[in-house]
Amino acid sequence: MKILRWNKKGILGGLLILVLILTLAGCGGTGNPGQKAGEGTKKPEEPAKVDFPTKPIEMTVLFGAGSGADLLARKVADIASKDLGQPVTVVNRTGAGGAVGYNYVKGQEANGYSIVWNSNSINTAYHAGNMNFDYTAFRGVVELTTEPVSIAVKADAPWKDINEFIDYAKKNPGKVRIGNSGKGSFTHLAAVALENKTGAKFTHVPFGQGLAVASLLGNKIEATVQLPAEIVAQVKAKEVRILAITGENRLASLPDVPTFKEKGVDLTLSLWRGIAVPKGTPEVVIKRLEQAFKKVADSPDFKAFAKEMGASVEFRGAKDFDQFIAQQDKELSVLMEQIGMKKQ
Amino acid sequence: MSEPGILSALFLSLAPANLLACLIGAVMGTLVGVLPGLGPAAAMALVLPATFRLGPTAGLIMLAGIYYGSMYGGSTTSILVNVPGEPASVVTAIDGYQMARKGRAGAALAISAIGSFIAGTITVIALQIFAPLLANVALAFGPAEYFSLTLLGLIVLSNLTGKSRVKSLLMVAVGLMISTIGMDPLGGVGRFTFNYTPAQGGLSFIAVTAGLFGVAEVLSMLAERETPREILPVRWRELYPSREEFQRSLPPIFRGTVVGFLVGLIPGPAATIASFTSYGLERRLSRHRDEFGQGAIEAVAGPESANNAATSGGMVPLLSLGLPFTPATAVLLSGMLIHGITPGPLLLRDHPNIFWAVIGSFYLGNIMLLILNLPLVGLFANVARIPPRYLMPAVLVLCIIGAYSDNNSLFDVWVMLAAGIIGYLLRHYDYEPAPLVLGLVLGPVIERSLLQALTMSQGNIAGLWASPISATLLVAAAVAALWPLFLQGGRDLKPFRSN
Repeated sequence: MKILRWNKKGILGGLLILVLILTLAGCGGTGNPGQKAGEGTKKPEEPAKVDFPTKPIEMTVLFGAGSGADLLARKVADIASKDLGQPVTVVNRTGAGGAVGYNYVKGQEANGYSIVWNSNSINTAYHAGNMNFDYTAFRGVVELTTEPVSIAVKADAPWKDINEFIDYAKKNPGKVRIGNSGKGSFTHLAAVALENKTGAKFTHVPFGQGLAVASLLGNKIEATVQLPAEIVAQVKAKEVRILAITGENRLASLPDVPTFKEKGVDLTLSLWRGIAVPKGTPEVVIKRLEQAFKKVADSPDFKAFAKEMGASVEFRGAKDFDQFIAQQDKELSVLMEQIGMKKQ
Repeated sequence: MSEPGILSALFLSLAPANLLACLIGAVMGTLVGVLPGLGPAAAMALVLPATFRLGPTAGLIMLAGIYYGSMYGGSTTSILVNVPGEPASVVTAIDGYQMARKGRAGAALAISAIGSFIAGTITVIALQIFAPLLANVALAFGPAEYFSLTLLGLIVLSNLTGKSRVKSLLMVAVGLMISTIGMDPLGGVGRFTFNYTPAQGGLSFIAVTAGLFGVAEVLSMLAERETPREILPVRWRELYPSREEFQRSLPPIFRGTVVGFLVGLIPGPAATIASFTSYGLERRLSRHRDEFGQGAIEAVAGPESANNAATSGGMVPLLSLGLPFTPATAVLLSGMLIHGITPGPLLLRDHPNIFWAVIGSFYLGNIMLLILNLPLVGLFANVARIPPRYLMPAVLVLCIIGAYSDNNSLFDVWVMLAAGIIGYLLRHYDYEPAPLVLGLVLGPVIERSLLQALTMSQGNIAGLWASPISATLLVAAAVAALWPLFLQGGRDLKPFRSN
């Protein structure tokens, strides 16, 4: 066989590749010895003075460049790096509903230099069986934003408001096809929660980015369940109407859109986002991060940006945030069980 | 779309700050295209925070510059070292690299720059005139239509190079199979992941391509008994395309432009599908069909024009509907939203200045990229003359960086190395890697749209051909699949023809 006739140079080259492969294998296994040395020099028992951060902080974002999560994260990183005096660099580690990124950050040194832009995905990714650890593998630093979920129909749809829409879906089970942004996604959960509260029955169609709205405009489906940011352009163009949002209050960017509560449907669900670090991160470091990200929440610049992105600023400090995540975990676990998505 | 509007648009984009933003965007885009791994969407997201300070017009011009600049650069590494920098440049590697090995790297690079320029300019005009009209075409395509269209594409495009049909179909099947690794496209179930979290994201397209093309090339060079012939130094004038090469390229450039623009209207990996379609089209139409695969200039000119045209096509749903169909246009949409600009039907009414300035920057950016890229041809063409013993290690490093930077995951690097070894064996036994790539790209699209279409029809398979568009496409797919059987009486199906 010709394939085996390697000359001397070939063998040498092959060996080189082998060495390269072994080096790579080494990269995968060991941590970062430089970081370890750095941590040794500062004592967590002395909360008075923190020598943090002394180098760039890496913020893992669980969803792709250009996604709603990504854009908010980049703005947050931009503002926070001013207070921290070190750049906060955003790295997208996507996949498995966030599990890929959580898994990466969990495996990093718990020294505050590796943080994650987290969200309800910490709950859903665990219960969906995508990862073998849950929210307790992390410590919350701050909660920064919440986004409601919106139910939208075409502008010329026959339903005047959300109540008429729900009535129709009750009387015609499965006739309303509602486009969400992926099976087991937060938008899917919201639509299922609406079914549970009202007795309506939808056909859930999972879509990717942007395409649920395109299908709605093209009359392929009757409604969408989406984060407001995904649909605000079409709402402003009066091609699409949002019937209601799942938030506690109305959105500043869509002041005419009622909440479910106002319409007599007891449904409040919001997608929160914030910062978390691996468990075991020194208390002083968490404090320092909390302080820096609090400033993000307070900045008018960020408030304006969040509004534009269809989100509201909602601040929770480290302690409250941890409790909040624990409570959310219970609620979402129940919801996921109802749609048969709960695996653990 | 009045005359003064266009003029004022060009005037606006000529303001020094906007001009600079356009230049920076174009340079960055070219770099992003040249380097495998970092795609336009990631690069645009990277500079997004900078646009906060630039203001809306300059910010959007810069983002747009990166977007179409990346399509100019994508062909460079395909042609020079057989490493496609972008998925859309995979087919360019087939003949482009062969041209480089024959000392015609300069011609291939120059033609792809000129083709990109022509396609870019024509499609911006088309974008301006037809955008509102074509937007409705894009909306006529729902999941059922995508499924039928993708199926047709898979059948028509599988036998890209016209060698053994069985081998091509086999490669497509392998591509489809490995595309199922990871989370299913609608989310929910991890497949073939062995509970290994990094694998849940699936096989990185960049990693597989870098392996099948780049690493396999390195291994082939190693395995070659004698050092490949040194390429003779070429005179400056011969770096650029000859009159004959230029004439042969023009029709493919125009056809590629039309194909690319239309395919660009469709969600999903439009630029990749556009370049594959153009390659297939040119091979069927060319009078030099026998040269395809050995370094035909048409096979570079067509696909490179098509992928550029597709980026303009992708702007149609974004500008006229406010809907991003690709990750890169999603970032562009975000860039607009950040500055309080809502794309869609109201863009022209509410922000005419910005709309026209962005359109103006498209014209300008294309001219800039041509000026930028043509002198670089001379520089880059020299890369093809570097002796393999220096060039190939660099290629390997390039591949590893590219594979890693796609998701910042070492798993992808392993995938790339494995794909490299497999790619070497495939090449040795005369299997084309391009159909495998096609299967890998179209697999998730076809699966997702099938599941969506069936969900929407509540499991009734008739939902797939309920609409006339979908039914027509399915009939076309069936004809395309059976055609060779009728035509050649199964002659082409003999599996192992002598090599």
